[in-house]
Amino acid sequence: MIRIRDLHRIYRVGVEEIHALRGVSIDIGRNEMVAIMGASGSGKSTLMNTLGCLDRPTSGTYELDGKEVSKMSSTELAHVRNEMIGFVFQSFELLSRQSALANVELPLVYSRKSLSPKARIAMAEEALGRVGLSDRMDHTPSQLSGGQTQRVAIARALLNSPRILLADEPTGNLDSQTTEDVLRLFRSLHAEGQTIIIVTHENDVASYCQRVIRLRDGQVIADCPAHEDEGVRLAGGAR
Amino acid sequence: MNRWYFWVSAVRLAFGQLMANKMRSLLTTLGVVVGVASVTAVIAVLSGLKTKVLAEFETFGASRVFIFPDRPDGVPNNRFGWSDIRLKPHEVEELRDKWPSVKAITPVTDLEATIESETERLDGVSVTGIWPDWHACESRKVIEGRPFNRIDEESVRQVCLVNESAVQELSLVGNPVGQTILINGRRYLIVGIVETIQSRMFGMGGPTAEVFVPFSVADKLQQSRRYFIRVSAMLKSPELAEEAKSEARYLLRRMRGLTAEDPDTFRVEAIDQYIDQFKSLASGITAVAGGVVGISLLVGGIGIRNIMLVSVSERTREIGLRKAVGATPGAIMAQFLLEAVALSFVGGFVGIGIGRLMALGVASIPDAGLEQVYVPFWAVLMSFGFCAVVGIVFGFFPAMKASRLDPIEALRHE
Ligand SMILES: Nc1ncnc2c1ncn2[C@@H]1O[C@H](COP(=O)(O)OP(=O)(O)OP(=O)(O)O)[C@@H](O)[C@H]1O
Ligand SMILES: [Mg+2]
Repeated sequence: MIRIRDLHRIYRVGVEEIHALRGVSIDIGRNEMVAIMGASGSGKSTLMNTLGCLDRPTSGTYELDGKEVSKMSSTELAHVRNEMIGFVFQSFELLSRQSALANVELPLVYSRKSLSPKARIAMAEEALGRVGLSDRMDHTPSQLSGGQTQRVAIARALLNSPRILLADEPTGNLDSQTTEDVLRLFRSLHAEGQTIIIVTHENDVASYCQRVIRLRDGQVIADCPAHEDEGVRLAGGAR
Repeated sequence: MNRWYFWVSAVRLAFGQLMANKMRSLLTTLGVVVGVASVTAVIAVLSGLKTKVLAEFETFGASRVFIFPDRPDGVPNNRFGWSDIRLKPHEVEELRDKWPSVKAITPVTDLEATIESETERLDGVSVTGIWPDWHACESRKVIEGRPFNRIDEESVRQVCLVNESAVQELSLVGNPVGQTILINGRRYLIVGIVETIQSRMFGMGGPTAEVFVPFSVADKLQQSRRYFIRVSAMLKSPELAEEAKSEARYLLRRMRGLTAEDPDTFRVEAIDQYIDQFKSLASGITAVAGGVVGISLLVGGIGIRNIMLVSVSERTREIGLRKAVGATPGAIMAQFLLEAVALSFVGGFVGIGIGRLMALGVASIPDAGLEQVYVPFWAVLMSFGFCAVVGIVFGFFPAMKASRLDPIEALRHE
C-alpha cells in the first residue's frame, strides 16, 4: 500500500543544507499499525509529512496505493490529501470558532464529490460517533477537554474513510489517561481494518502497535514487529 | 473548484470575516467608499441635468430649424461679400412659399432702441422684427391682446408686442394693451403681451424687457440697409429635421445661384444638434469624473490589498490546515479573492448610500433647478462592477500569496 524507496529530504536554510532523510525505504501494507520512533531531530516528522503528501521529497519515490505521488503537482497532492489520507496533528489544529461538527466536516468543503447537505452531516456525525463524541457535536474546541479535542481531530481525519491514518505524536499533549483513551480508539480502528501510522517517542505508545520502525539521523536503523523491539520490551512488552 | 458547497462555504467565510472585523473592514474600504460615492453623486447630478435640459429643449420644440448667414471656411473674404451671404427678406419669402417640411417660418432681426412710456425711458432695449408665424416658431404665446396679423405686416403698422418684464420696467399701469409707447421717438400701439421666458437653460440671466414689431417695421427701423436676418422655422414633425435641412440648402443654393463647387454661404441648424452638443459635454464631464473616481478606487484598492495581506498572515495557520485537509491552491485563491471582493462590495454599498444622500442634498438646494437629480440603476450596477474589478485586481497578490503557502510551513507559523 505504501512503498517508499531511497527517500531523501534536504532542507536548505541559507547556505546550510540539513539532510533530514537520507535514503529511507519502507513498505507498509494494508491494515498495518506501525509506530515510527527515534530521537528528536531524527526525521520522524519529515517522513510523516512526506507520507501525508504535505511535503515533497527531494529525491526518491513514494507510491501510495499504486500511485506515484512524489512528482505530483500541488493541486494533485491536495486531492490525494483530501481523498486518501487522514492526518492527525500533534497540536490538534481545529478551527477555534467552529463547532466540532463543522470542524469534522471541513474536508468535505474541498471534496470533489458532490454531496447533499444531509449526506455531509450524516458523514460528520458518523465520524464523531466513531470517536465517541456524538453528544458534543455543537461544542467549540474551547468547550472540550484535551482528549475530546484530539478525538475531534481524529474524527476529521477519518471522515473521508482514508486509505491511511497518519498521526504525528497524537498523544504528545495529553495526560496518561487521555493518551490511553486515544490509543484505545486507534486500536479499535485498527481492528476495523484501518491502516495506521503513528509517530511517537514513547515506548508505551509504540507498544500498542504491531510494528516499530526506528529512525536515527534520517535513516532506518530498525524495523521489526513490536514484540521484538528492544525499547518496547524493556518498557513492559508488547500487548 | 466549481462545486456548490465550496462556494457556499467561501461566501459564508468571507462574510464571517467581515463581521469579525467590522471596523477594520469599513476603514479599509474608505477609498472605495469615496470613489463610489463621488461617481454616484456625479452621475446622479448629470443625469438630473440631462433630463432637465432635454425637457427644456422639448418645450423649446425639438422640431425647430434655424438658418443663419455664414461665411464658408477656407474661401477668400472677397469671394463672398456680406451682401452675398446676408439673408434677404425676399429669400425668406421664397422659403416660406416653397419649403415643404416646414409649417411655420419667420425672419428675425434684432436692433436696440430707446423705449419710452409716460414715466420711464429705457435705452438699449432689444426690439425684434417678426412675422405673425413667429409665435408658432418660437413657441411663445401671446397672453393678452392679439398677435400681429398680415395687415400689420403689409401696411407696416406702428404696432408692437411687449413682454411682461417690459410692462414692469416701463411702469405701465392698468391694461397695457391699447396703450402706446415710443420707440426711438415714434409712437407705437401695444396690441398684445408676450409671456416672458427667462433664459433658464443654465440658470443664467434674469428676465429682460423685450419689444416686438412687425418685420416690415423693423426693416424701416434698422439703420443699415444690410442688417442681419436669421430665419426660424417650425417643422411639420420632429422626424423631418434632416429632410428640412436638405430642402433649405437646395432652395437657398438655387436662389443664390451657387454652382456645385461653391460652398454654402449660409448655415442650417436643427435643434437636435444642440442636444448632441449637450450630450457630448455631459459625457466629457462624466469622463473627467471617471478619472477622479479611478484615483480614489486605486487608493481604495491599495487599502484592500494591504488589509488582505494582513489577513493572510493572521490566518496562515488556518490556511495551512485547509490545505492539509485538501484545499487546492485554486480553492485558497478563490477564497481570498472572494473576501477581497466582499470587502470592496461593502465599500460599494456604503459609497452608493452616501452618493445617494449627496444627490438628495443637491436636489434639495433651492432654486438650483436640480430637483430631477437621481441615481440611475445602471450607475449602481456599474459601481458594483468597478468594485468587483478592484477587489479582484488588488486581492490578486494577497490571494496568490495565500495559495502558494506551503502547508507544513503555514501550520508551523506563529
Ligand atoms: N522546515 C525546516 N527547515 C529546516 N530544517 C528543518 C525543517 N524541518 C525540520 N528540519 C530539520 O530536519 C531534521 C529532522 O526534523 P524532524 O522535524 O523531522 O525531526 P523529528 O524526528 O520529528 O523530531 P521531534 O521528535 O523533535 O519532533 C531536524 O534536524 C530539523 O532541524
Ligand atoms: Mg516531530
